Amino acid sequence: MADVAQPVGILKQIGLIAGLRWRMLHNNLRRKQNRLDLLGLIIGGVLAGALVLGVCFVLFEGARGFVYSGNTTWLSLIFWAIFAWWQLSPIVVAGFGVSFDFRKLLRFPMSFGTFYIIALAYGLADFSGLAAVCWLVSVVIGAISAQISLLFPMVAVGLLFVLFNVTLERLLGSWLERWLAQRRSRELFFAGFILLMLGLQLLGPLMNRFGNSVGPWLMRALPYFAYFPASLAGKSVGAASAGNYREFMLAAGGIACYALFFGSLLWLRFAAQYRGEELSESQAPEKTVRKTVRRETAEGTLGLMSPQIAAVIRKEFRYLLRNGFAAMVLLIPPILVFALISQSSLLQFMGSKGLSPELFFPSFVAYIVLILMAPAYNSFAYENTGVQTYFTAPLQFRDVFLGKNFVQVCLIVTELTLCIAAFCYRVGAPSAPIFLATLAAIVFTVVGQLSIANWSSLSFPRKLAFGQVHGQRQSRMAVLIAFAAQILLFGISSLVLGLGRWTGDRWLPAKVFALLAAAAVGGYVAALDALTSYAEKKKETLIEALCR
Amino acid sequence: MTDLAIVTEKLTRRFGALTAVDNVDLRVTAGQFFGFLGPNGAGKSTTIKMLTGLLAPTSGRMQLLGMDFSSHTLAVKRQIGVVPEGMGLFERLTGAEYLNFVGRMYGLDHATTLQRTEELLEFMQLADRPKSMIADYSHGMQKKLALAAAVIHGPRILFLDEPFEGVDALAAGALKALLGRMTARGATIFLTSHVLEIVERLCSHVGIIHQGRLVAQGSIQELRAGIAGEEGTKTTLEQIFLSIVGQNGAERSQIEELSWLT
Repeated sequence: MADVAQPVGILKQIGLIAGLRWRMLHNNLRRKQNRLDLLGLIIGGVLAGALVLGVCFVLFEGARGFVYSGNTTWLSLIFWAIFAWWQLSPIVVAGFGVSFDFRKLLRFPMSFGTFYIIALAYGLADFSGLAAVCWLVSVVIGAISAQISLLFPMVAVGLLFVLFNVTLERLLGSWLERWLAQRRSRELFFAGFILLMLGLQLLGPLMNRFGNSVGPWLMRALPYFAYFPASLAGKSVGAASAGNYREFMLAAGGIACYALFFGSLLWLRFAAQYRGEELSESQAPEKTVRKTVRRETAEGTLGLMSPQIAAVIRKEFRYLLRNGFAAMVLLIPPILVFALISQSSLLQFMGSKGLSPELFFPSFVAYIVLILMAPAYNSFAYENTGVQTYFTAPLQFRDVFLGKNFVQVCLIVTELTLCIAAFCYRVGAPSAPIFLATLAAIVFTVVGQLSIANWSSLSFPRKLAFGQVHGQRQSRMAVLIAFAAQILLFGISSLVLGLGRWTGDRWLPAKVFALLAAAAVGGYVAALDALTSYAEKKKETLIEALCR
Repeated sequence: MTDLAIVTEKLTRRFGALTAVDNVDLRVTAGQFFGFLGPNGAGKSTTIKMLTGLLAPTSGRMQLLGMDFSSHTLAVKRQIGVVPEGMGLFERLTGAEYLNFVGRMYGLDHATTLQRTEELLEFMQLADRPKSMIADYSHGMQKKLALAAAVIHGPRILFLDEPFEGVDALAAGALKALLGRMTARGATIFLTSHVLEIVERLCSHVGIIHQGRLVAQGSIQELRAGIAGEEGTKTTLEQIFLSIVGQNGAERSQIEELSWLT
């Protein structure tokens, strides 16, 4: 009779999975493409490390100061900040870690307890979790260095706070993932997000009108925040500092209750996953109804283009509309701009600081271009195996770039037109020289970046999962190239604007930018042929990266 | 003189120290249903990738329909259809949108693309789910759609990598009939499959690649003639294949030695 596999202990299984992740990382770096990516990872790591250490220092000093001055309950502010970072940054930053689907583990003989603990432990393995833990440790050390008797309370509160946050973060991520797995709910989420953003835009005018009555209401609501975990954490440390251990135990117990409550909900979520929950678009096969395929009758303006370019443009628009998060990223800049310029305090601020639309206008345009150009540096991210079509079809690769770039430029032009119109209406139009200089600068920076972005997309492709937030990892090199290109182009633009002010020639920036824009367009056209040859050279890398 | 659809001369592809395809000289006549066989890792997919422009050869020449691939790349691509490894689908489009996209990429006009899309979806029995995205299709449905996309422009050579894998028997029958009609009209089909019975039933000619080298090429009858089978019985393609790639007793005994398997 054959041997039967022996049960494996939980620690052994955790060790095996940690080893697996290490092997995945190690083997990934064996590829030349990913070794280049490692450079980006190191530079990004150094920058992120500097950020984490800087904040650690500030929090250490803050905690030490609060305890030293006897204002221990003010530690709640720090706990609230860490809580906000921990819960919001995974959505905004979209995770630094390597994507790893825990459901893949279900084929192994693993108990639910092991699955739960491993899944929970990996909540600490991404950047936001690690940074938050570092900051909490610095708060604990800061508080202890001011009052050594806080050693036990701070460590206990710190551990409970970590447990609460990691549980809640995993729970929210899991719910969000489940909810967004369905196309209908993705669309609802998308619509809700836009409404929320538009609602926030109205917040400023509403505050101006009803601010006086809202103030007292907010003050009345403030005490209720005392029952949330971050406030309880600050309160428990304050009580321990004052020697009131009964209150300390109550507050710490409150945090533990929260952790237990969310832990139970998470247990139910993971139990569903453990049982083999299916998160596909259509959980049950659709009822088959014979329908005539919808015909697309009109070609519209795309009929003026070559069929290949028009096909790429249609496909790009469809992909954009179906990829909720990508579309949302594109909508954020104009929404933020609308929210900003609708604040009457902005006009007061500009007046008090002597800022004129002349200065402010180019800056806000640069901000929008900066955000909207980011996806262009990895423009094949969502193609997957479909990218092979570009190489099997009878077309020059320049057509693919022309199609993709056309969509990118259309988006930028549309968003900028809306934002500029709103800006001119609300803040005031800048002078003609600045206005024209900015328009020419837009052409220079956008077209200039497109050539670099196209090269980056071929050189450092990275597959991204459609409609997912968690576990998405951009190509580090692509991010660095985008960063460098934007610094270079916006540096040149600032220099040109500065030159205009220095010489006193108001039209000089417009003239220089017009020349630069013409050069950028010429360079873009010339680069298309070079990129077509380059695509042929890089096709293996591209296909390998996207079809894996 | 017979028209040759596919000719390769000393076609070679190396990946570092590994030679995946080694001096392969293929000859496929126009109108042939050609089966390209080989064990796993023999170099089948690498050869197909080179013949369809997805991979550049390290050395050697390829001629398709009398045109040199490297100097007439676009002209060649217009004449070939391919179901690449992984099927090459854009999963966030619907079936109709994808076929429209591919048709236009191959330069078909708008009206023709729409008409063929409709006909292909009906033929492949995919017209029932017009709003479903490809990501929601079953594997077999995706395979059928990939095949539909490969033929939408009426190619003269069709490259198929495991076309029947995951396709139900009904659809497989319809597909075989479709492919048969294509070859009757003069199209060439270059097919890889691990199911030797399918190759034996469909293909008139086969090529066998082993460790990167083309070890046999010809009609099934020619290959059969070269293998001594049991008297009075017809040698199967499986026997020919095993005989050529050298499945020997030593490897068998290794499997038999796995005594811990029940």
